[in-house]
Amino acid sequence: MMTVRRKRRTFARRKICRFCVDSDLRIDYKDSKTLRYFVTERGKIVPRRISGNCAKHQRVLTLAIKRARQIALLPYTAIHML
Amino acid sequence: MRKYETFFIIDPDLPDETNAVVDTKIQSIITSNGGEVLTYVPWGKKKLAYAIRKRTRGLYVLMEYSGGSKLVAELERNLRIDERVLKFITVMLEERFDPEKEKERKAQALLVPFVEEEESAVAPLGGEDEEEMPEDFEVEGMKDEEDEEDEEDEEK
Repeated sequence: MMTVRRKRRTFARRKICRFCVDSDLRIDYKDSKTLRYFVTERGKIVPRRISGNCAKHQRVLTLAIKRARQIALLPYTAIHML
Repeated sequence: MRKYETFFIIDPDLPDETNAVVDTKIQSIITSNGGEVLTYVPWGKKKLAYAIRKRTRGLYVLMEYSGGSKLVAELERNLRIDERVLKFITVMLEERFDPEKEKERKAQALLVPFVEEEESAVAPLGGEDEEEMPEDFEVEGMKDEEDEEDEEDEEK
């Protein structure tokens, strides 16, 4: 087991959820431009502690990203690009 | 009556007449099964994020319609059989459809087709948007390959 504890960044930055703040922003699976900000270069979904979303919007966002992947607006993985 | 939308991809290499044929066929499926097509917007050709049936581009079409629940099954069955349709996804928008409210919705919905872009589907972060975020989370530790594997090992 670990004897050396690695320092965790305990203060996740106090980011506000941009969807809660700006209620005009709608999460839509067809809107790949907005969704791209929440996906890494490899195509993975950005976790909530990094993007700062609230739980509700993170769930909606995840569903939208998965739908967009189904309809080939977002890739599943970066390997497609090769 | 429920309101649905189906977003599907048609083979882009077909001639325009065939596209028109496909359009009318799909719309007639809906109307003959007791539904009503609200909007039918072809979005244009776009590069796909991954190859579907060996094709790298596709013609996207967005269709909003209202109808009963069995209509969706019938439509999807037909889309599956048709070889010109590559992929489709159906989403229910509203459980109870009210024709008057439809006019307000039309203004808000993402009906604007996109411009044909030549870049890759996953563009690098750092768009022109008002959002200041992208640089942040790259620094914050979204190192995809090495770091994540290290973290998993250490937590055991």
